Amino acid sequence: MIRLPSWPVLLLLVVAVAVFAALPWMAGLYTVKFATRILAVAIFVMSLDILIGVTGLVGFGHAAFFGLGAYAVWFVTPTDDGANLLVALAAASGLAGLGAAVVGFFAVRTRGFYFIMVTLAASQMMFALFHDTRIAGGSDGASIDVKPYLEIAGRTVLDFQNRNTLLWFALAGLVAAYALVLVLVRSRFGRVLQGLAANETRMNALGFDGQRYKWAAFVVAGTLAGFAGALFASIDGFVPPEILGWRESGLAIMMVVLGGVGTLWGSILGAVVYSLAEEVLKSGHWVGPLVSEHWPIAMGVFLIAAVLGAPKGLAGLFPARPARPWRAPSDADRAEAAATTPAPMLEVAGLSRSFGGLSAVSEVSVAFAPNLIHAVIGPNGAGKTTFTNLITGALPVSAGTIRLDGSDITGLSAAAKARRGIGRSFQRTNILGKMTVAENCAVAAQARGSAGASRAEEERAVAHALAAVGLVDRADRVATSLSHGEQRQLEIAMLMASGARLLILDEPLAGSGPEETARLTALLRDLAADHTILLVEHDMDAVFSCADTISVLVNGRLIAHGSPDDIRRDAGVREAYLGRFAGLEDAA
Amino acid sequence: MDLVLVQIFNGIQYGFLIFLAASGLTLVFGILGVINLAHGSFYMLGAYMALTLTQMTGDVFLAVALGIPLAVAFGAVIEWAFVRHLYARDHLQQVLLTFALILIFNEVQRIGWGSYPHSVPIPSYLSGSIRLTDTLAYPVYRLALTAICAALAAAMFLVIQKTKIGRLIRAGESNREMTELLGFDSRLLYRVVFAAGTALAALAGMLAAPVESVYPGIGERILIISFVVVVIGGIGSIKGAFLGSLVIGVADALGKVFLPNLAGVVVYAMMAAVLVARPGGLFGRMVR
Repeated sequence: MIRLPSWPVLLLLVVAVAVFAALPWMAGLYTVKFATRILAVAIFVMSLDILIGVTGLVGFGHAAFFGLGAYAVWFVTPTDDGANLLVALAAASGLAGLGAAVVGFFAVRTRGFYFIMVTLAASQMMFALFHDTRIAGGSDGASIDVKPYLEIAGRTVLDFQNRNTLLWFALAGLVAAYALVLVLVRSRFGRVLQGLAANETRMNALGFDGQRYKWAAFVVAGTLAGFAGALFASIDGFVPPEILGWRESGLAIMMVVLGGVGTLWGSILGAVVYSLAEEVLKSGHWVGPLVSEHWPIAMGVFLIAAVLGAPKGLAGLFPARPARPWRAPSDADRAEAAATTPAPMLEVAGLSRSFGGLSAVSEVSVAFAPNLIHAVIGPNGAGKTTFTNLITGALPVSAGTIRLDGSDITGLSAAAKARRGIGRSFQRTNILGKMTVAENCAVAAQARGSAGASRAEEERAVAHALAAVGLVDRADRVATSLSHGEQRQLEIAMLMASGARLLILDEPLAGSGPEETARLTALLRDLAADHTILLVEHDMDAVFSCADTISVLVNGRLIAHGSPDDIRRDAGVREAYLGRFAGLEDAA
Repeated sequence: MDLVLVQIFNGIQYGFLIFLAASGLTLVFGILGVINLAHGSFYMLGAYMALTLTQMTGDVFLAVALGIPLAVAFGAVIEWAFVRHLYARDHLQQVLLTFALILIFNEVQRIGWGSYPHSVPIPSYLSGSIRLTDTLAYPVYRLALTAICAALAAAMFLVIQKTKIGRLIRAGESNREMTELLGFDSRLLYRVVFAAGTALAALAGMLAAPVESVYPGIGERILIISFVVVVIGGIGSIKGAFLGSLVIGVADALGKVFLPNLAGVVVYAMMAAVLVARPGGLFGRMVR
């Protein structure tokens, strides 16, 4: 979770704000202009941190929205007069937000390197559009002769023509933007964004529509960048098309990384330090004429030193505020009122899936009754994982139907199935790494039901889940610091907190020692009181001791289904496990 | 009509040049896992190297012959000094460090050659044009350039398909971790691949110098277009880079004829279209 700034940092920020505010009395016109530029860029860079640091999306075209905001001011400025300040700011944020909505719609469908490239391409397209056509001054750039001002009842209240006014307005804008963004990323919405950054697969399996959240983050970041662009355009009254280009985007990434990704205030620090460093290196006053003549080299060396020396950025050099300790709500014992309704029943009929010509699961028909543990076993490559992926919606089915409590859920997406109460764990532990144990469960609880849970419900669900799996004393630990067995327990706690009633567990015992296995199987038995459990597992001792029914898959076909005793006596199963696969066709 | 035909020829020739640069980029990304923004700088340095070496030797091909070993050595040094620290880092830090390298290389260029555009003479034996049809003539150097690039592309396929190092490159391309687990000294492979990628970009810059004017921003133009090609072709795929380069080269050249105001948009629109249809590129596997 993104924390509030620690006290030393807060003090630093307050001092910085005071210095910026006092500049008109301390320094000349040039410095005031320079400081205003830093503030506008800082808002822009912080908006990029919403994408990079919070949501884990490396946008390489963010300058497009900054530039759109700047150009919007030109668009709404009449000839021979200044634009209404409110109209200018609204137009800038609106146009940039609209642009971000269009670009983001496509971009959030891609990941990693492709996301970088799609955003880069989008910004380059916009650059080409403004550079090669005459919609706004073309390659010469657009001039805003009279800057925006605000008149109320005939009196000019704010005038960007006045440099001091613009400085203070930009400063107030930065402070307000920082406060707003901090509240936003610490809200439940922001928590989902951070969950997506940590582990998108897990978030989708919990029932969050990751793409929509990422799209929303993209639009928010773009809108804020547009606001910053409007301030930037008002400084010199000039908007060059290069403002949209990849170099500006690259610079903004530089500043985010330099300051420290995912801290918000770090990106402000990055913008300030980068701009100051550039200014110091450019003017020969401190560094001598040789360096100032070739300042890009010095800047490059400075950046390389920063990457290699401070991988966490400048913010990483400051103390971080510890997480607020987790406390169980006082009414924790009232939890899980919903648990009295019976768990769902799962039926599959004729379920098949083929990859190319190879059929991984064919014609499986079986019913799993509520409140029992159903194990699915079979040799490696029998199609067990494919089978579970079909049920959870991770893979589309080739043929057949899946019914949950009688209603057909075959064609639903993974997220939609998760919202219907199907929860899953993965073969490899799959948790939200950087968050604490309690935060992991809270995010899961947030996904409850179709309408989402209230804060109180969420807190009760977290408390109940942590108590059930025995992780209460680990609640404030960062999830990656847990032992393997504890991470498995956490996964199950997340499933419980998510309100899932059908739990699909893919090899939950893999890699566990005998003690951990005993603890986990006992936990599964407890869970079966109000859940239906589908267990894919290789540990035969555990399966035969805790499962109520066992289904045996071989070569994608269900060759047996029954109680552990039935399965133990089944000749076909024995053959399969004795390795006489040649005789299987007859046995099946 | 002639204009269109000439532009198609120009597009193919431009496409081959892009391929040289983009193949280096896709190899470095596919095998080393490093996003190298400084790749365009190698193209730029190649062009300026051609300028200086041609002034010294009098022939651009002599300059190329001398320039290739220099570029290989330069790439190896850059890998040793900077890039090898990035293998375990995330994309962001790679972007930051290689961006810093661009700043430095651009300044080195400015110190060495200044900001004015230069031109590199076409060797006398390849100057002039040949008539292709009654109304259409085409410069000989451009044809020669196309032939040289095609030969290089063929040689590259042979190296990758038939030699031991090519097999390692293919292995590294399809599964980097596994190749390391098999115990191959990846440090050497990485250095070789990075040096080769550098040399390919520099070679493209050297060969292009006589047909384009040599100016400070050429590296960035080729960098962005190479990234577009890598994405269209699929990351790490030489075959994809080849196809993508030709498509983009021709599309760019034709765009200048038919949509002169929107030529800059055409290539990106094509990339977006490919990504919508095939999110992993034409020949790509999905990469994180």
